[in-house]
Amino acid sequence: MRSSESDEVSAPAATAAGARAVQVRGRRAPRTFPFVLPYLPFLFLFGIFPMIYAATLAFTNDTGAWAGFGNFERTFTDYRFVPALLHILLYTGVWLSLLLVLVVGLALLLHGRANRVSTTYRFLFYLPGALAGAASVLVWLFMLDPSVSPGSFLLRNVLGSHLFVESIAPGKLPFIFAMIAFWTGAGGWIVVMYGALNTIPHDLEEAARIDGAGPVTIALRLKLPLIRKWVAYMAILSFATGTQLFVEPQLVNQASLGLVPDTWSSNQLAYQMAFRYGDFNAAAAIAVDLLAIGLFAAVLVVTRTGLFRAED
Amino acid sequence: MMQRSLLSAVVVSMLALAGCGGDSADDSAKGPTASPGASASGKLTVWVDAARLPVAQAYAKEHANVKTDIVTFDGDGNGATTLQTKIQLWNRTGKGWPDVVFSEQVNDPVWMARKPFEFAAPLEDLIPKNLVSDWPEASTAQCTVDGKLYCVQDNVAPVVLWVNKKLMDQFGYAVPTTWQEWASLAQKVAKEHPGYIVGNVGDSYGHWIYFWGNQCPLEQLKDDRLLINSADEHCTRVASMLDPLIKNGTVPPLSVFTPDFAKKYGGANDKVLLMPGPSWYAQALFDQTLHIPAGQITAAPPLQWENESPTTTGQVGGGPWIISKHTANPTAAADFVVWATTVFNPSGADARPGLPAYAPLAAKWLQMQAENPYFAADPTPALKTSTSQIWQGWHLVTYPDQPVWSNTVVTQLVAGKDLSSLLKPLGDALAQAAQAAGYAVIRE
Repeated sequence: MRSSESDEVSAPAATAAGARAVQVRGRRAPRTFPFVLPYLPFLFLFGIFPMIYAATLAFTNDTGAWAGFGNFERTFTDYRFVPALLHILLYTGVWLSLLLVLVVGLALLLHGRANRVSTTYRFLFYLPGALAGAASVLVWLFMLDPSVSPGSFLLRNVLGSHLFVESIAPGKLPFIFAMIAFWTGAGGWIVVMYGALNTIPHDLEEAARIDGAGPVTIALRLKLPLIRKWVAYMAILSFATGTQLFVEPQLVNQASLGLVPDTWSSNQLAYQMAFRYGDFNAAAAIAVDLLAIGLFAAVLVVTRTGLFRAED
Repeated sequence: MMQRSLLSAVVVSMLALAGCGGDSADDSAKGPTASPGASASGKLTVWVDAARLPVAQAYAKEHANVKTDIVTFDGDGNGATTLQTKIQLWNRTGKGWPDVVFSEQVNDPVWMARKPFEFAAPLEDLIPKNLVSDWPEASTAQCTVDGKLYCVQDNVAPVVLWVNKKLMDQFGYAVPTTWQEWASLAQKVAKEHPGYIVGNVGDSYGHWIYFWGNQCPLEQLKDDRLLINSADEHCTRVASMLDPLIKNGTVPPLSVFTPDFAKKYGGANDKVLLMPGPSWYAQALFDQTLHIPAGQITAAPPLQWENESPTTTGQVGGGPWIISKHTANPTAAADFVVWATTVFNPSGADARPGLPAYAPLAAKWLQMQAENPYFAADPTPALKTSTSQIWQGWHLVTYPDQPVWSNTVVTQLVAGKDLSSLLKPLGDALAQAAQAAGYAVIRE
């Protein structure tokens, strides 16, 4: 897992080649710029600028004066903050493990199949994800109501719920939301992982097979390490999405006529802070908290998996 | 239709008269003023819940020169905070406010009148005094914030005892008059007719039915402080009465507006024997939701606690109409609100679900109900007496208490906990919500 830069430094004999490589990269940079260009305005408008705006709000008060960590302290001591944070951490934990294990597992299984079979399955897996987020939650509201659900048998015997209220009992919610999110999001990732698996040169697999590796060994010892970066990429993006959970609890709050609190997740609490209490500074502080958690997780994953190392 | 336009003409002329009478219009007062007598025209944006859609549509139809834009929303029902979030946004952008809003939440005007929202317009200069005086005092009191009138209530919604007369006669039971009789009847029902129910406790407003009526101080303003004492005897005695009934299944912790409830107790099953509930239950619940056939349901007066008098009851509703202080068309806005509350009274599917708050209209509505073939017996005497029995010790606050009740109590009742054991968590959670909304809370 050495990068090309360390190659250049550690191998004096290859200095000339290395210099040429740097030259090539130097010449390549302006050429790649036009490809990145269309993305930059959006990155600034919807990524960087809101982030700066949120940070400014989070460290100032409603008159615009510097508030230090006052907003963070205030939101942290709010009686809804810790429960909401625990909810999303539990949810993200459950969902992320589901996603990592099942998506990678299913993609590996699919990749081992004959082409036509795997195409059909890929399509089937992807299908639920084609529904827009809110719509799929609505579908789940019916799925979770034992009196109308086609899976009422499962609800009764696995979840032990005979009523909709029991399906969305507080203790079950993180798991229910994880299930909804998995169902709506996993298909897309399976397709991505499948694409990643397709980049593995065929002769590598061939060589492994000649050496006597069975399908399980090939999947776990050859394919899995080669798509590690894609898995890391999925983990980072999904972690951020997971901690920012909003639509699912918000809709279930309304559908349950308020049985599920409207501050179930941290993002909802931020929303309530901003628009119910008019406290945009507190809302921004919570948003910055979430950003910090997301960044921390991302840095951890990036450094642990070598996601950005150019050559392997 | 003829009658409706006639009535509206009457109201317009009343407005004109009020205008001629020089009704002390305080020029220094902030907020929009209507020009009474001037016929309403121009553009008007109205936000209503689904139940108030017919009145908005009827107004639009009959007032062709007012271009009425109707927007339906959740009505802030069950303690939602839709209007708070919307008003925050409008205030921030400085535009977009609707002219008239209906809320299912009786306490909404309290925060709408105050900072940081400051959305509601004082109605003194918009609706003539002689018209307002025909609202019951308790109703205008709920619309009065810091000494000014900020809304008029669409209906008054006292809790009465709904009775399935057909079933009660069939089983040979007498209609209870006290909570104690009701509870002992429930025990009897559990033994003799298991599966039938005498009430329910799973709605987001269950505490208004059982605790408000029985004078439990969960929202009592003492000067500038708020008393929340769920350990008060008025609360604990209700919980101990309900606990055995929740256990034996005669008072299930289910909401009446869930498919589960309708399936189990409604329609052909017809398992609702008695049900303490608000005045609007007849049409909205028994007829349209549970589909209980005509000729079965009637209303009995609110239940009394032993021999304590006077009898007090709870309230579920009393939805207010609010005019925006930002309205560019105060004349049409006032005209709409006056028409909706004092004129609109059709029969049939679009009939008003609840007892109108405006007294002259209430009289007409009650007359209609007395002749309504849906009822097994005339429900109007019970509805009439209950109006003045709403306990006045439960005050309206700026935060919604329904979600607190739902999250801390209903979900736990479903999980099999005792109501008595949940009173403390309820009090604590209400106190937290109150403090977050800026109240100084006292607990005993």
